Amino acid sequence: MADAREAHGGVGTAAGRGRRLRAGVSSHVRAFVRTPINVVLLIALPIAMVEGYGAAMEAFPSLPFIDTAQMVEMGRLNGAMYTVAFFAGVLGLFQVISALQADERLRICGYSRVELFVSRLVTVVIGSLVITGVSLAVLWWSTPVAAPIAAFGALALAAFIYGLIGMLIGAVLPRALEGSLVLVFLVDADDFFSSGILDLNAAILNVFPLHFPHQLFRDAVFDGTVATADAVGGVAYLLVALAVVSVLYVRLTGDGGVAA
Amino acid sequence: MSRGRLGSDRLATAFEMGLREYARTPVLLALLAFLPAYFVGIFVYVLPASEVPITVPGAGRTLVATIEVYGVLLIPMMGALIGGLAGLFVMLTARDADGRLVVAGYRPVHLVIARYVLIAIAGLVAIGVSIAVLAIEFVPERVGWVVAASFLLALTYGMLGTLSGLILSRLAGVYTMLMLPMIDVFFFQNPMVEEYHWIAAYLPAHGVIKVATDAGFTSSVNLDPLLGAVGYFVIAALLATGAFYRSLRV
Repeated sequence: MADAREAHGGVGTAAGRGRRLRAGVSSHVRAFVRTPINVVLLIALPIAMVEGYGAAMEAFPSLPFIDTAQMVEMGRLNGAMYTVAFFAGVLGLFQVISALQADERLRICGYSRVELFVSRLVTVVIGSLVITGVSLAVLWWSTPVAAPIAAFGALALAAFIYGLIGMLIGAVLPRALEGSLVLVFLVDADDFFSSGILDLNAAILNVFPLHFPHQLFRDAVFDGTVATADAVGGVAYLLVALAVVSVLYVRLTGDGGVAA
Repeated sequence: MSRGRLGSDRLATAFEMGLREYARTPVLLALLAFLPAYFVGIFVYVLPASEVPITVPGAGRTLVATIEVYGVLLIPMMGALIGGLAGLFVMLTARDADGRLVVAGYRPVHLVIARYVLIAIAGLVAIGVSIAVLAIEFVPERVGWVVAASFLLALTYGMLGTLSGLILSRLAGVYTMLMLPMIDVFFFQNPMVEEYHWIAAYLPAHGVIKVATDAGFTSSVNLDPLLGAVGYFVIAALLATGAFYRSLRV
């Protein structure tokens, strides 16, 4: 009997693990799209932010420390970056917070902690890719993008990094208000300082999560180039974040998601 | 016991329970103090020592230090962010319990007042911490008016947070309360612009930032713009209260 279960993709086999992962991811995705307002946000948020930032920057005069003459375009770029970082961060945060009880039940059903983490992560990655695509499309509609694939990569990089940060905050601080507060303050300061709107040179800014994605995104949209150093820096940042979040998430979410 | 006395007792009890809820979450209290300090502190540390021209309502176009401009913007911004999120979550988390309290005989008005006082406290803490940290580098000319204007914005965003939490969803409410204060205060109302974008006049921070800028850099403050800001607050409060009553199904 047990052999028959194994042969058809039982609990311990790769096929069984794959099936459980698919089931986990599809349930998380369904839980998200079940609320229509979430789907509306996927479209409305990029439009509001990209055009809102562009309109806001339109009124700015040329100032000595502002690094560009393309104020409106810079505003739109900033709006796109802000949208993907925010969306992915909040998605990661609430994926973890809302998952606590569900993950406990899934753990009883045989899911391992790693599988639960991977299923959450894949859901955040899917959400990140969707919001990245929509944001880039909204930007492209009003602003020429010199290197679309590189621009997509830079935006996706920002989304992945903030998706991981959101998951981390959710694991360490699994309460909606507290987690949201931390994320808000982190993203707002990071986006403002990394945007390139201000000509800043404090060393601490190099370790901000959006530092490399912003640089890569500006180069891709305006010049159609990709600076190798920024690309390597950004990917390294992502990998380090992934390693840290994986370890902490699996440790902190203990038996099925009850954080300490 | 008279009806009036019973009412004030219930109001006090609802408020006390809300305060205890704060006290039971020391992490939240710590964040309310630390996050504004971090935010203002990093601006003080990072912003360049350059000067920028801004429009001060009572003094026209004036050249001031960059940190001073953002200092004046940061105080209302902190109030708006914390007030908005507090409005969103205080109402969302208390809604079920409040529904039961209404069944038990509480009047919704007592619950609404108690919740709004909690939101106001969160906003005041954020503003107080921000002023304290900013004082390392810059003290506005008329601190009292900057605090008053910022507090009004915190309350307005608290109402908008409450409203968005009740009519949207938690996730959508969080997005709104994360993004709107930032784009409103830092971009649309930024006094560096010579001519405001037409959208700026319809956003919550319009009158508040004018008064805060005036109070930051002149000793005589023109309070006229506060009228519009108070009007914005009243409308937001009416809408939020209406939505809250509706959510209680009374």
